Amino acid sequence: MEGIQNLLEKYFSVGIIWEILPYLLKGALFTIIFSVSSEIIGIIIGLVTSMIRTSKIKVLNQLAMIYVDLFRGTPLLMQIIFVYYALPYLGINLPAPIAGIVALSVNSGAYVTEIFRAGIDSIDKGQIEASRSLGMSYIKTMRYIIIPQTFKRVLPPLTNEFVALIKDSSLLSVIAISELLRTAREMMTWKLNPSSLTAAAILYLLITLPLTRLVSHMENKLKKSDAH
Amino acid sequence: MIKIVDLHKKFGDLHVLKGINLNVNKGEVMVILGPSGSGKSTLLRSINLLEVPTSGHIYFDDVDITAKKIDRNRVRQRVGMVFQAFNLFPHMTVLGNVTLALLKVLKMKKDEAVKIGTDLLIRVGLRDKINSYPNQLSGGQKQRVAIARALAMNPEVMLFDEVTSALDPELVKEVLDVMKDLAKSGMTMLVVTHEMGFAKEVGSHVIFMDEGLIVEEGLAADIFENPRHPRTKVFLDAVLH
Repeated sequence: MEGIQNLLEKYFSVGIIWEILPYLLKGALFTIIFSVSSEIIGIIIGLVTSMIRTSKIKVLNQLAMIYVDLFRGTPLLMQIIFVYYALPYLGINLPAPIAGIVALSVNSGAYVTEIFRAGIDSIDKGQIEASRSLGMSYIKTMRYIIIPQTFKRVLPPLTNEFVALIKDSSLLSVIAISELLRTAREMMTWKLNPSSLTAAAILYLLITLPLTRLVSHMENKLKKSDAH
Repeated sequence: MIKIVDLHKKFGDLHVLKGINLNVNKGEVMVILGPSGSGKSTLLRSINLLEVPTSGHIYFDDVDITAKKIDRNRVRQRVGMVFQAFNLFPHMTVLGNVTLALLKVLKMKKDEAVKIGTDLLIRVGLRDKINSYPNQLSGGQKQRVAIARALAMNPEVMLFDEVTSALDPELVKEVLDVMKDLAKSGMTMLVVTHEMGFAKEVGSHVIFMDEGLIVEEGLAADIFENPRHPRTKVFLDAVLH
């Protein structure tokens, strides 16, 4: 019984949570801002890179592949540290928030590239041929025929990627960005009580749950629309 | 109008076209017959450069379209193509399919493109399907949309690659009728088909291909009545009886 009492006091102290909630909400807002902006830039990077990956320009294709391998195959934490602490030696001094967004976007872009590439590959080759046979260029074919059809199919994996990005953005605490998790840890030290972590976890859930629900919904709709 | 000289196409080790020579004059309906794997589709697809020849030349009005500096998109605008699998754009309406290239390639004004698109869809008998989506159409209707879509660019030549092969038997006629009208209007056509009735009635010239070569070529009437090459005879016997 005493154990449960202690657990409740340490991790579920309503009084403390109530007191620090404004700070945590501010941290959550930062988390959302960093994730959303990085996801948007990541999608743009991924869109361009995936088109390079599916094109027949060998050199660019190889470069795109190296980029994807590099950023999917190394820890994000390392990438954040490199962008913030190593780039200054090359004369590139980025303020922490910018460095954070750069690292997150470039990392997310690598994942988005592969999501789009799989989506583009899943479109019937006849679509490209029909479009090219009308005299449409490769770029126009991508823009008007392939990408619009791809978007519908990649929306579920893209949303999953976004959920992962929201959680990964907590790694930005390593370069002193006060996103949700870092704020919670600061509150923990301040109040000498880890209830702030519990509150942060609930806030993460509140952000990600609607998205994961949305994915299931989209997947169901997609099944139906592909059925006929 | 189209002159093909010693055309070869290899896919890796596979030698699909082994030296094709062919002349197509304006207004001709050239029917291409032959067993599957004989290179019919590859020949057709070479003419609008969906396949790039390994060697040889294709002249379109005396311009070598296999030359390196040629603008392939410009060539393709002059050559319409209809596919066995329709390949309509599923995310666009019927009218959207037909007007797309007018708007995006020729940069035509919207109302002008809609006028042309609507006229073409009326011509293929699909006035009431203009705002439908492809998945709401039957196979025959889809293929007629595909023909209208290719015609929208006002091509000088039309290529038909087994366009009725994927259709239910009762839907074949409506597509062939559209093609017959097109032939009557003087369109130059190259048609890969297994529809012998159509070939006999509409074809002005017939070539018979086997193993990457043209083994027999001539006026449609002659070849059907009096095939000279043994392989043509065997093939015609098999498909006509």
